[in-house]
Amino acid sequence: MRVLIVEDEAPLREQLEAEMKSAGYVVDSAADGEEGLYFGREFDYDVVIIDLGLPKIDGIDLIGRLRGEDRAFPVLVLTARGHWEDKVLGLEAGADDYLTKPFQMEELQARINALVRRAAGYAAPLIKQGDLSLDTATKEVRVADQAVDLTAYEYKVLEYLMLNPGRVVSKTELTDHLYDQDFDRDSNVIEVFVGRLRKKLSPLKAIRTVRGQGYRLSREGTD
Amino acid sequence: MKAGIQTRLLLLTSGVLALFLSLAGFVLDRSFQASVKAGAEEQLRLVVFSLMGSIIDEGGDIRIGLEVPEPRLVQPQSGLYAGVFGVLGETYWRSPSSIAVEFEFPGAGASLQPGDFRFSEVMLGGVPRYSLSYSVIWESVEDLQLVFNMVADQAPYLKTMNSFRRSLYVGLAAVIALFALVQALAVRWGLRPLRTMAEEVAQLESGQRDQLSAAYPIELKGLARNLDRFVSHEKRSRTRYRKAMEDLAHSLKTPLAVLRNGLRGRAQPAPADLAQLVLLREQVDRMETTVSYQLSRASVTGPVIVGKPVAVAALVDRLLRALGTAYQDKQIRVETDIPDTFYLRGDERDLLEMIGNLLENAFKYTSQRVLVRAVEDNMRVLVVEDDGPGIELAVREKVLRRGTRADQVQPGQGIGLSVVVELIRLYQGDLTIGESRWGGARIALQFPQLSGD
Repeated sequence: MRVLIVEDEAPLREQLEAEMKSAGYVVDSAADGEEGLYFGREFDYDVVIIDLGLPKIDGIDLIGRLRGEDRAFPVLVLTARGHWEDKVLGLEAGADDYLTKPFQMEELQARINALVRRAAGYAAPLIKQGDLSLDTATKEVRVADQAVDLTAYEYKVLEYLMLNPGRVVSKTELTDHLYDQDFDRDSNVIEVFVGRLRKKLSPLKAIRTVRGQGYRLSREGTD
Repeated sequence: MKAGIQTRLLLLTSGVLALFLSLAGFVLDRSFQASVKAGAEEQLRLVVFSLMGSIIDEGGDIRIGLEVPEPRLVQPQSGLYAGVFGVLGETYWRSPSSIAVEFEFPGAGASLQPGDFRFSEVMLGGVPRYSLSYSVIWESVEDLQLVFNMVADQAPYLKTMNSFRRSLYVGLAAVIALFALVQALAVRWGLRPLRTMAEEVAQLESGQRDQLSAAYPIELKGLARNLDRFVSHEKRSRTRYRKAMEDLAHSLKTPLAVLRNGLRGRAQPAPADLAQLVLLREQVDRMETTVSYQLSRASVTGPVIVGKPVAVAALVDRLLRALGTAYQDKQIRVETDIPDTFYLRGDERDLLEMIGNLLENAFKYTSQRVLVRAVEDNMRVLVVEDDGPGIELAVREKVLRRGTRADQVQPGQGIGLSVVVELIRLYQGDLTIGESRWGGARIALQFPQLSGD
């Protein structure tokens, strides 16, 4: 999962980065609206966190511009002012949720999880595909009610595929959403993770390879 | 209610005018009466003199010739009577007109110095009359002293006076009426700038206008200019104050968020540090609550002027759409019953703040249903109901108590609601907390009806 954080206050931005990284996200961060606009235009994110009081381009303006360019990722707004006028303007500009500063990191995590899930079309934290289930809140994976022990990266791969069920996800897309920009894109580490995942999820054959294109999670989790 | 300036001016000028014209009428009436009386005296004197000329003196005997100088003296009951008397009251002659009249001549036997005239108003035979007596020594008849007495009915003179008086008062009344009309028009014209100013101030209050127009007469120019300055100064101050509050919020809340998250980050502290850490966290929580509550309170300024009417249905729709986005997962069923004509007067930001907080609470705590409806009786009331767990009595009391100190407000005890209470009271309204039809919370926001509504 890839997140963009646009926050001008360096200490808070760094905390957010650390928090999101520890939650398994790949993090890009921007210190002002202009930089945020650049990142938002250039890359595809699973979720974007935008502070409303930004230098150069105001948060509301930034959301409006990104939405104007058909960037559909979920956006969470952070506001220190906490006025309804700001919240409503943010939501009207295209944000999906808001959080008033100061906030609890747990609250932020819960909101981010909900936004990502919602974007994938799930209402509850527990995502099910046939016998395969994944809890985005507790990060537990079960096959036919048996807990499966996954490493952090294996979990990330599975979560991303489960949040995009039935769609072919290319290796590049997976790499973009799971690794930092300086990751060596030619390595076959994705294939290795997918191979290990298949083994751990067996006898389910949930992940299928579409030759020359990428991977697809079967809608039913099995084939 | 005190009378308006126009009414006062009209009453005063009309009163003064009526008083002066009444006095003038009285003086004119008196002068005319005096001149009529003087005219009557003069006429009677002339008759006396012509009567004296008609006296025939025949060796000590006095008589009036056949040619009586005044025809009315011959005609019975003509209203003009004459008699010639001696000093002891003996009658030398009476005019034929007085033969059938029953009164005694007042000049008969009157003690008058020779050459003296005596003119008086008398009642003779129940009729008001003028009497003129003249005493003279008739030298040709052994210095005989005679008194000529003329009596004339007042009726024709009174008739003239009454007719004059009638014309005078009708004329004066017409002058008063005309003057009052002209005065009313003049006052109306003169006070028009004040009326315009009152209308413009009302428009200023209701937000239909930002400042007064420039076309005021010299006496009001200063006032209008100062009022404009005051209004724009108030607006600027308010904006600056809000901006300062927002900057303060930003510069306090962001470090607080950092502080809170920094404290949370310390995993597995040494037991000795743990107590300290807990204490620090508590203090940060307290600061956070205080800052949030105080800044929310401080940034709402309430109404200085009445404010524009804000259509509530549109405002609630806007909030519901926004909240619907943020609370998509909850699948909340929202019903609204607010007529398009239902409006509240105030700063739109304040209204958004109050209604936004109430709706957010409803969305947060409801399990499925939210109802927003408007009630209009002697107050304008907006009611928000939900089917959540409701609000505990202790929290209700705490929220509604006036002047709750911010450091006594605990997290989760309705800071948002406390801000709404504070704000609605600035608007001279009130907030009541009850139980909804589904057992959840029912919050009623009551706005007073304003005179402009």
